[in-house]
Amino acid sequence: MIHLKNCTIGHTNPLFSLDEIQLLKGEIYALIGSNGAGKSTFFATITQQIKLLNGSITIDQQPLKKFSKNSLAKQIAFVESTSDLPDFLTVREYLALGRTPFTNTFGRLTAGDIEQINKIVQVLDLAPYLSKFMLNLSDGERQIMAIGRALVQDTPLIILDEPTAFLDYGNRKKIIQLLKYLAKKENKCILFSSHDIELCLDEVQQLLYIDFEEKKLISTGNITKELLIQKAFPLY
Amino acid sequence: MKNRKFILPIALSLLLIILSIFHLVIGELSFNFTTFYNSIFNYNASNSTELIIHEFRIPRLLIALIAGSGLAVSGMLMQTLFNNPLAGPYVLGINTGSSLFVACSLMTGIPFFTNDFGIISSALIGAFIFGLIIIGFSTFVRSHISLLLIGLMLGSFTSSIISMLQTNSAAEELKSFTMWTMGSLQQVEFKQLPLIVIVFMIGMLLSVFLIKPLNTLVLGVKASSMLGLNIKMIRFTSIGVTAVLTGLITAFCGPIAFVGLAVPNITRLLFKTQSHGILLVGNSLIGACFLVGSDLLIELVEPYFHLPINVFTSFIGAPIVIYILIKRLK
Repeated sequence: MIHLKNCTIGHTNPLFSLDEIQLLKGEIYALIGSNGAGKSTFFATITQQIKLLNGSITIDQQPLKKFSKNSLAKQIAFVESTSDLPDFLTVREYLALGRTPFTNTFGRLTAGDIEQINKIVQVLDLAPYLSKFMLNLSDGERQIMAIGRALVQDTPLIILDEPTAFLDYGNRKKIIQLLKYLAKKENKCILFSSHDIELCLDEVQQLLYIDFEEKKLISTGNITKELLIQKAFPLY
Repeated sequence: MKNRKFILPIALSLLLIILSIFHLVIGELSFNFTTFYNSIFNYNASNSTELIIHEFRIPRLLIALIAGSGLAVSGMLMQTLFNNPLAGPYVLGINTGSSLFVACSLMTGIPFFTNDFGIISSALIGAFIFGLIIIGFSTFVRSHISLLLIGLMLGSFTSSIISMLQTNSAAEELKSFTMWTMGSLQQVEFKQLPLIVIVFMIGMLLSVFLIKPLNTLVLGVKASSMLGLNIKMIRFTSIGVTAVLTGLITAFCGPIAFVGLAVPNITRLLFKTQSHGILLVGNSLIGACFLVGSDLLIELVEPYFHLPINVFTSFIGAPIVIYILIKRLK
């Protein structure tokens, strides 16, 4: 799905580099790193919010640079950790915004768009929520709606910035399990960042972590908790 | 939920028609429909009834309709663009941009700048430049309140420049500018209406193209950009449309406060949606109702005391803003 080779990541100064990482459809990947290690910068690079300093990133063999803003939005859906939502935004309106890259100048939803929304409403069982306002939902419910919006966007790759940050243990586990289920069932490539080492080690097979000493992003399917903490989290 | 989106616009349209009819007929003068028809299409200036309808009543009603909906739509654009329910062309200092440029062009005394077209152009350019200044600030001022304070300060700063210009200008220019700053719906003449209506229609038509970006912008700038929107372009267009509408209205009515701030909030409260297509219709209707209604009230009390439109809208609008502040920002 997405293939990164010899990349240097950073805003203007390099934060870290990586040798070669390939993310596949049907798999879920957790990105672990300390605060300020560059998780958000990494996501910003993949989503072309900032420039890749060095190296190459391809999506389905196509160089990332060749994607226009709108065509990239058909490949990658991004879920922010928090967002400032306004009053009176209904769940239905919120989900429909996932169709933005596909609709015409006036944002009119076609029958196909509505079908896609209804499909996701069924997959996630959101029917009871549709007329509710986003602001009246709990943090956990809002996170599920955000995932719903990403699914409505119907992209092969979904990136989530700390989807479990503001949730209690039960909800954190629920969200991760939902993401795992979606990766398999909907054949998505899902990448999310987290501080939650235990949960990620328990639930997710593929981990990416930023080694703070070597300044390198490393992909692993097999690491112990002790080693992960030692590598990814500097203890001052 | 569904009913609200169909019944409300119909009810508001009816209300607007009733208010407009009252607005036209109220006063000491009574007339029938034929006279009214003649005063538009068969105008005869020697007939005093036709003269009053033609030169006073129709322009005043039309400008109230246009100013109300134009300011409300500008307010909606600003509130969504800045993700801030307290934004509006007046609070952000965009009006004062128009005022400054109109003041400058009026005080040059050059005929090119003091005709209608010159005044509209300078009001529009002033609004646009001040809109860009506010956008410039908004990229590094994250806090909602700080941005509003900057807007207010920008307004005060510009007002002081205008005062400096006033104290140092000749009596003739001073008079024409002072008249203008009072804010009034009564200074428009019938022959100016076509230009006003055309510019207004351009502004409203352009705002239709902003419906989709605005819908997405409620998610924030970053999320919108990830959904494929060109943020720079949208900011530019939104400020452009606001400048056209606010500039036009400020040029002919002077600064009118709070309509652009209060009406979009009332509209959202009534329609309970963030679909900007619906909000656009709602804001146009409620804005027009609000200003025609306000002006109707002013007409009614006119025999007893004089009430400038700007004073009245502030009187109604300021408490609404305080209410929103208390409710939203805790």
